[in-house]
Amino acid sequence: MKVIPVYIEAGISGFESPAAEYRELNLSLEELLLQHPNATFFGLANGRSMEGRGIFNGDVLVVDRVEHISNGSVIVANFNGCFVCKIIDTDNALLLSASDEHKAIKITESDDFQIEGVVNVSFRLHKKLPVLLSCLG
Amino acid sequence: MFGLVDAVSFYARAEKVFDPSIRHKPVVVLTNNDGCICAVCPIARQLGVPKFVPYFKVKSFLAKHDVVVRSSNYELYADLSERMMNVIARYSDNHYVYSIDESFLHFKNFSCVDNWHEYGHVIRKAVWRETRLPVGVGFGPTLTLAKAANHASKKLSGFDGVAVIDDKVSRKEILSRMSLTDVWGIGNKLGKRLSILGLKNGWDLANQSPKAMRAQFGVVVERTVNELNGMPCLDWDEIGQDKQEIFSTRSFGQRVTDGHALKAALASHASIVATKVRRQGSLVKRLVVFASSSPHDDSYYKKSVIYEFPTATDNTLKLVGAISYVFDSIYSQGISFYRCGVGGVELESSQYQQQDMFTLSVNNPPLMKCYDQINHRYGRGTVEVAVAEKNEKWSMRRNFLSPRSTSNWSEIPKIIC
Repeated sequence: MKVIPVYIEAGISGFESPAAEYRELNLSLEELLLQHPNATFFGLANGRSMEGRGIFNGDVLVVDRVEHISNGSVIVANFNGCFVCKIIDTDNALLLSASDEHKAIKITESDDFQIEGVVNVSFRLHKKLPVLLSCLG
Repeated sequence: MFGLVDAVSFYARAEKVFDPSIRHKPVVVLTNNDGCICAVCPIARQLGVPKFVPYFKVKSFLAKHDVVVRSSNYELYADLSERMMNVIARYSDNHYVYSIDESFLHFKNFSCVDNWHEYGHVIRKAVWRETRLPVGVGFGPTLTLAKAANHASKKLSGFDGVAVIDDKVSRKEILSRMSLTDVWGIGNKLGKRLSILGLKNGWDLANQSPKAMRAQFGVVVERTVNELNGMPCLDWDEIGQDKQEIFSTRSFGQRVTDGHALKAALASHASIVATKVRRQGSLVKRLVVFASSSPHDDSYYKKSVIYEFPTATDNTLKLVGAISYVFDSIYSQGISFYRCGVGGVELESSQYQQQDMFTLSVNNPPLMKCYDQINHRYGRGTVEVAVAEKNEKWSMRRNFLSPRSTSNWSEIPKIIC
């Protein structure tokens, strides 16, 4: 839980800030970006097939397991033992890319496939952070 | 109505959440220091991998069957447990986290549920959706029956992850298919004694006279019998009772032969015990201190000494100080120590301590409060008794650790685009 700290004043205290009563909680990125914090995890994008949807190599994907999936959603799925980020075509059981260089992938009976969640938010670090670079390896 | 929700082989399943490549493979998880197998996923269980055996004994068997071996990733389990509990808490008006993967529910004013079986599935689906952990759900009119139903939901054929005990038929069906030791509160020893009387299963136990059981086995068994018959005896608060014994033990990452290193390890355990004891408001009257070589060594060495305090205490300095008094009778040169530990075994409540008018109090609440607050705020070990100096040799060995996917940015999963 986040709280607004209110300091105890001990007699001699100069002038009270005129803004004191207007204090609010600071902005929180989590509050803005996470719809279902309990069901959300982060992953690191690796590859260029989703650039048409604004997802670049090294971006952080925010994956929401609760969000409703519809035709054309950007999703993260387990596809044969790997996490992949693609556009789901629910009508034709296809995994689409957002790039001309990558073909659509047909999901067949023999594939191991489960949708993990929806990517409604992803973000890019314009200056690379060492902590995140290390997981691209 | 009570409910019990718990995860199916939690540690092993937690390993599969962020590693899709092992979802269909057999997975086992090892205890601290990679010593024993402590969790086996259902696929590994089918292969016949036993639980609680030393890893080195089954190493080749695991390799032959391509079993995935993992060290305990507590960072990951703690996070997934919290997420799972958050979901479960939404489904009742009273919620009690009983262990890392079990949670009791108490439905006091819940007239809105008319089909408990369906409701169980609603909970299962929600937990699965948000955390990818499978859970079993049991409902019953008492805590013990909820626990029995939970057992049935996972272990008995014919159940689909949810079981409800709400009448005599369902109670008999489930209890008669449970062994005595599957009943909550019936341990191995007690189970053996009961089976001598000719009891075979939970239903037999439910049909005993509570009074006779009390005369022979004590009040705990009497309560169990009553609970099995649908009479609530365990209070909501009682299941979270204070621990009667508090231990801190660990096997060493590398064997220890040096006396100073062993003493430091014991002092550190004593310090952990002291912190835990204060957390539940208890005092230690007797302290067990022990150290041993490995039982798999050619000649097994084990020494265990009990130290009794003149007056019970929760003072870290006193508990750590006790190590010095007993150390010489534990340590022996030339032994390569594998494991050591400390336990507070006779605990008293600090609230009701009998004061002795001739002895000064050995406790130092202001100092201990300060000590606990610093360590709480800046992490365990920030202030520590000097003798309990950390040593790399006995920090945990975790050679097969998976990424801390939810608590460390440099270990978040890679997603192929």
